[in-house]
Amino acid sequence: MEDKEGKKILVIQTHGVDTPTRTYSPIYYAVAAAAMEMDVMIWFTMNGTNQLRKGAAEEVCLVPGSGVTLRTMLDMAIDNEVKLRVCQQSLTLWDMTPDDLIDDVEILGATSIIDLALDYDHVMYF
Amino acid sequence: MSNEKINNCVILTNLYYSVQDNTWVRVNDDGTVTIGMTDVAQSLAGPILHARPKKAGVSREKGKPIATVESGKWVGPVKSPMTGEIVEVNENLEKDAQLVNKSPYQNGWILKMKPENLEADLKDLLTGDAAVEAYRAKIDQDGVTCTHIEGTDEY
Repeated sequence: MEDKEGKKILVIQTHGVDTPTRTYSPIYYAVAAAAMEMDVMIWFTMNGTNQLRKGAAEEVCLVPGSGVTLRTMLDMAIDNEVKLRVCQQSLTLWDMTPDDLIDDVEILGATSIIDLALDYDHVMYF
Repeated sequence: MSNEKINNCVILTNLYYSVQDNTWVRVNDDGTVTIGMTDVAQSLAGPILHARPKKAGVSREKGKPIATVESGKWVGPVKSPMTGEIVEVNENLEKDAQLVNKSPYQNGWILKMKPENLEADLKDLLTGDAAVEAYRAKIDQDGVTCTHIEGTDEY
């Protein structure tokens, strides 16, 4: 299998803290792609946005006692230089302001995500 | 071969370590180096499901990924402690990735590399007592206790 270094992958995450079983895998895939030296971005929108509220991801733990929370996963993404972006319009949906967001998240509008989707080699939608 | 155990984590004092990236380097007689993950690294990752080294012939700079490793709870790169060309990868990891857990310093090696500038790169790594002390500090700071699955090498 040829190396895919430098390819660009956009992961769109629409699931949040209310559905924990749908939150870990998209981040895991994103980190795996980053470890394979791809350029990776996760775009959080709809319910996905609420996991970026300060303190929220720490409360989500898929396997009790494992110590691996959703915040652990987000930190793993940040450590591996996965870009985290959030939909500006979805902040309103959750009554959030930019100050409510964890560090290392940038806010983008809808036109930006359309541009990005066209620019990336592959889009994974969750 | 001498070794130290800190919180059940094995450190072999004859290897060179990148403590930050949790990799080790063994200098071979033919001028190549063998690179692998440390006991601390395999413990933090948990039982490895897949270990995928880059291919032989690929040149890597220090700090760039030379393999990707995934467990049930962790996925990430193994960052190269040296600059050079990969000359051999451990094909056995494809059949049994948990060799990394069971034998991190022997049968679970990741790959061999022909370094571009061995002496210069070794200066950035720690060995002997300096490596042990650095790991002692890191293990204390991070609160790491190493765990070993069935079939792990005895030290």
